[in-house]
Amino acid sequence: MRLSRRTLLAAGLTAPLAACSTPQRRGTGGPVEITFWSALRGSQQVVDAFNSSQNRIKVIFQQIPSGGQGGYAKLSNAARAGNAPDVATIEYPQVPGYAIDGVARDITDLVTDRLKQKLLPQALKLTTFDNRVFSVPLDIEPMVLHYRADLFEANGFRIPATWDEFTELARAVKAKSPTKKLVLFPTDGAMQFACFAWQAGARWFDTSNGKWQVSLADTPTKKVAAYWQGLIDEDLVYRNASDSKQHDAQLGQDLILTRLSGAWDAGAQMRARPGQKGKWRIAPMPVWDEPVVGTHGGSTFAVTKDSAQPEAAMEFIEWQTTHPAALTARLKSGTSSQYPVAPGLVDTGAKAFPGEYYGGQDVYGLFKQEADKIRDGWVWGPRMTATQRVMQDGFAKAGAGEGTLIDAVRAAQSGTMPDLKALGLSTEEVER
Amino acid sequence: MKGKLACAVLMAPFLLLLVTVFLIPTGTAIWLSFFAQDQPGLGFGPESTVFVGVRSYVAVLSDPTFRGGLLTVVLYCLIYIPIMVIGALALALLLDSGVAKLRGWAQMGLYLPHAVPGIIAALIWLYLYTPGLSPIIDLFARGDIHLNFLGINTVLPSIVNIALWSNLGYNMVIFYAALQAVPREVLEASVVDGAGPVKQAVRIKTPLVRGAIVTVGIFTLIWALQLFTEPVLLSQSTPMISARFSPSMYIYDAAFTRNNYGLAAAASVILLAFTIALSYGVTRWTNRKAA
Repeated sequence: MRLSRRTLLAAGLTAPLAACSTPQRRGTGGPVEITFWSALRGSQQVVDAFNSSQNRIKVIFQQIPSGGQGGYAKLSNAARAGNAPDVATIEYPQVPGYAIDGVARDITDLVTDRLKQKLLPQALKLTTFDNRVFSVPLDIEPMVLHYRADLFEANGFRIPATWDEFTELARAVKAKSPTKKLVLFPTDGAMQFACFAWQAGARWFDTSNGKWQVSLADTPTKKVAAYWQGLIDEDLVYRNASDSKQHDAQLGQDLILTRLSGAWDAGAQMRARPGQKGKWRIAPMPVWDEPVVGTHGGSTFAVTKDSAQPEAAMEFIEWQTTHPAALTARLKSGTSSQYPVAPGLVDTGAKAFPGEYYGGQDVYGLFKQEADKIRDGWVWGPRMTATQRVMQDGFAKAGAGEGTLIDAVRAAQSGTMPDLKALGLSTEEVER
Repeated sequence: MKGKLACAVLMAPFLLLLVTVFLIPTGTAIWLSFFAQDQPGLGFGPESTVFVGVRSYVAVLSDPTFRGGLLTVVLYCLIYIPIMVIGALALALLLDSGVAKLRGWAQMGLYLPHAVPGIIAALIWLYLYTPGLSPIIDLFARGDIHLNFLGINTVLPSIVNIALWSNLGYNMVIFYAALQAVPREVLEASVVDGAGPVKQAVRIKTPLVRGAIVTVGIFTLIWALQLFTEPVLLSQSTPMISARFSPSMYIYDAAFTRNNYGLAAAASVILLAFTIALSYGVTRWTNRKAA
């Protein structure tokens, strides 16, 4: 993660070269060729399954680094050079940015009613702006509580259902074993924090008035920031980066009892720490008073402006997001636990997901229950990568004892506004 | 006629480079800073290139992260430049005084770090600064002294240290060369008048190499304002260096993370203007004092 700038630069330099080798449509008669970039694990298996399922469209897949590690820079540079792939993978927070930059094509007319009916409407709403659809969601990832069942049992801890219980539990953990902590407040986790705020009813961005209304430090966000600040001040949580050796050690040495992240992370955990097989279980995210949650992670597929074959690209996207064979291929790779946006695929997912790691728990059943609780009304902003970075700079300082979490949130807003203004967008800072 | 031709031939490479690597990029940046691909409202409509006046400039100057970066670099200059100039001058005077033994070796040893490219230098120091990797931190930890070179207040001095290590020897060589040009009879006269080695160094030699001091000062200033390589590399080991730590990093971030070329161009022009103004100010100030 910390290598991002260099890889970013490298990606920027190589992107045009890589794109030059992109094969275009062959002579008449052969299948239509489209290109597809993704950082998602298991994509190669999905592409292989698609290519062998029919002979009209041939997808040429390229695995690219994840967004933060250079994938987004690669995509932006390719689009600038006119060489973007037909289909690109974009995470939810980045969709509005790519739509504004004109990289993601307006695909409203290509999204059929048949496809729409197969997708969870909350998810499609997150990729629809100004009544226009800019990408098709693949997975939606409610935040869940991953917990160490063995350590919970040994200490007689109960699963916290509310954030108050979560605090009590954090105190109990500290009292019982001073070397351990209940959870990490990730200083590189602006997206986790966004999810906490989302759950509490925050609306960082609002487009309903035809302009970007920005209010990162609204009342629900203040509540969430004060809550975590309290845990930090009481020294009840670790405060370091989640993408770090330090955090690996905390997890590996049983120093941490829970993790708060999206449903997808169950698969990442299996891959990263095979030795902890059977020790983890998953529970719902603690709640305030309403039974609602936010999302953390999740990807969408966009057809780019450079695509010469938007219909073929859309056909591939539709297959990838709604066909059982696509999900089966991805989950069989053993590294994914994505929760599909198409409710019709949940049973397929439950069957294909290797459940031994979680002691045979019906994790997909839990994900389904949580996905139905995703709070309505959240909108991502036009430059989330940058907003996220500024916020994380503040979190790192707050973790080191300088400033507070809400200061970091305010700094993120004041570091975002000039950017939006320079893009020529209609903006307004509002107090909520 | 022949003279003019020779002049044109000799000047051509310089002019060619001036135009292609300075004037054209600067012109492009200025153009980019005044125009933008705009879509009205939420920004999802079709794009059109429009003249936006000083909008990008207002955005940059109203951005607290840019002003923070500017402040960081000013602070960096205030720490770095005095230490650099005084340190390099002191070393050059020491070598010139003849007190130092093994002058050639000392000169080479001090100059060698300058031959190491900045990015390699930063990598070497990154290794020495990173907890868990650094033998220095390990050594002190054994004596129960816990160092943190990349903490919230130590990160700027750590960058200054890398820059000093890289450039001290180079500037010392410039000062040393200037000192060599000081007329020997002046020095002899000062000895006759009773000046000791310290007095001679401070009162006689230093004023005579004033030109070199001003030159080194200005070059160091210009170089320091463009602070980029060291913090970018160190930022991989510490969250205390943000993506917009210095103005140059702000520009890079604006262009390649935020995809906001207008903003990046405006910030570049502001940094250029700031650098020119500051160098001009320093030159004027020192010339006036000389007059």
